[in-house]
Amino acid sequence: MVVLVCLSSSVDAQIPRERANPGGPVFEVFWAPNIITTASVANVPKGNLNVTIMHVFGIATDGIKDLFGLDDPANIRIGFDYGVSDRVSIGFARSRFDKLFDFRFKANLLRQTRDGRIPLEVAIKGDMGIRTDEIEFDLKDRPNYLGAVLIGRKFSDVVSLQIVPMFSHFNTVFIEIGENEEVIKEENDHLALGIGGRFVLSTRIAVLFEYIPVFGSRSDGTRDEMGIALNLETGGHVFQLFLKTSTWLTEQHAISRNRDRFLAGDFRFGFTVNRVFSLASN
Amino acid sequence: MEQKIIRQQQNHSDIATRFLNFGCRVVLLGAISLLAVQVSTGQAFMTKNGHAEFKSRVPLHSFTGVSDDLVGAINLADSTIDFYIDLTTLKTGIGKRDKDMRITLETDEFPFAEFYGKMVTLFDPESEQSQDVQVAGVFTLHGVSKDISITATLEMHGDELHVSAFWKLNLRDYNIKPPRLLIIKVDEVQELSISGRLTSVSN
Repeated sequence: MVVLVCLSSSVDAQIPRERANPGGPVFEVFWAPNIITTASVANVPKGNLNVTIMHVFGIATDGIKDLFGLDDPANIRIGFDYGVSDRVSIGFARSRFDKLFDFRFKANLLRQTRDGRIPLEVAIKGDMGIRTDEIEFDLKDRPNYLGAVLIGRKFSDVVSLQIVPMFSHFNTVFIEIGENEEVIKEENDHLALGIGGRFVLSTRIAVLFEYIPVFGSRSDGTRDEMGIALNLETGGHVFQLFLKTSTWLTEQHAISRNRDRFLAGDFRFGFTVNRVFSLASN
Repeated sequence: MEQKIIRQQQNHSDIATRFLNFGCRVVLLGAISLLAVQVSTGQAFMTKNGHAEFKSRVPLHSFTGVSDDLVGAINLADSTIDFYIDLTTLKTGIGKRDKDMRITLETDEFPFAEFYGKMVTLFDPESEQSQDVQVAGVFTLHGVSKDISITATLEMHGDELHVSAFWKLNLRDYNIKPPRLLIIKVDEVQELSISGRLTSVSN
């Protein structure tokens, strides 16, 4: 009888409520797949297509005469990234400057878990760009490359940080003679460390920063890329308004060709619109 | 002397009768218990990967959220029905929309949607025909509990009990403010459906 009573009571009781996946990945280390110029550890979910429209204008601090850079030639990049899985995305984009096409992938090797079992988000990114502008380059002279390891952590719902060791290579670079007859030599290879972070102000607004110091030899006259951004999230969109130094919108170009200094006031206004579409049948 | 022998024989007979009676009772009780256990376990069914779905409408568009992490149990012995789902497992196909849903439902504070109630009409487990039963109980969402009554469809398939149900709810009834983007607002009325193949808890 005791067995029967015990069994009966166990069947009568409500099922204990348990979270489905307490050790699952944390939600959104960053809101968008990029911080400003650098990629973030956030990846495009499986079956989603992230369309990116980036726009960066001229130097903003030249004043009203060129409407704070809006009259200057703008670099524009339109990109598409598709989530093959929740950990792997592939994409391509086209930038106005150099008529650059770039093809890229990002793969999350480690996902930070909610139970702290895995404390970091680790991803790798590869990007191959190829300039298609009218220049007397052979095909082998046109490519450029980026390899990066993205290491990030969401410390809280407010703070996320990441570092990105990265390496860039250009098949062909220039040696120029400057205005004062000085030789300006570009390097084929650059090693840099991207440092970025996010501070969430509300459920819809966050402030981001990035700084990409270059280590070792670098192209003459170039400076470290730096920028700050305001992220506005509205459902399927993430709008990013930013001030940054470089007119370039891919990492390999930003670390090897930027000649402006943020702290000297040489920054440009720009914006990025990220729009997510679902291509998966649901 | 003869009388004494007869009395002793009678005593032996009493002891044997009492022993036989006790043995019969033990066997009978054991048999009843075993039968009861078999009936009880055979009438309790459970799933941990049931399917849950909601459909939301916005002007000129609708979208669906799905999860296969619905946990539920049905006990035919006492007619109880118990289902719950971790709302963070619902996927709408767009990660950003999932995040909006978690914000709207405040899943950090109220992670579950749950129903606990009873069948108030009869279900015949001996029949393998699909049967509609009326279910009444308490549905809890966003920290708000409401008495609801819905029609569920139950069907025996061997050792499995298949269940499905459909009903509508109004977000306002559960203190949920429908999300909106500018003038576009998600409809307050949501269509919910669940389905699952529950297996006997003895399996």
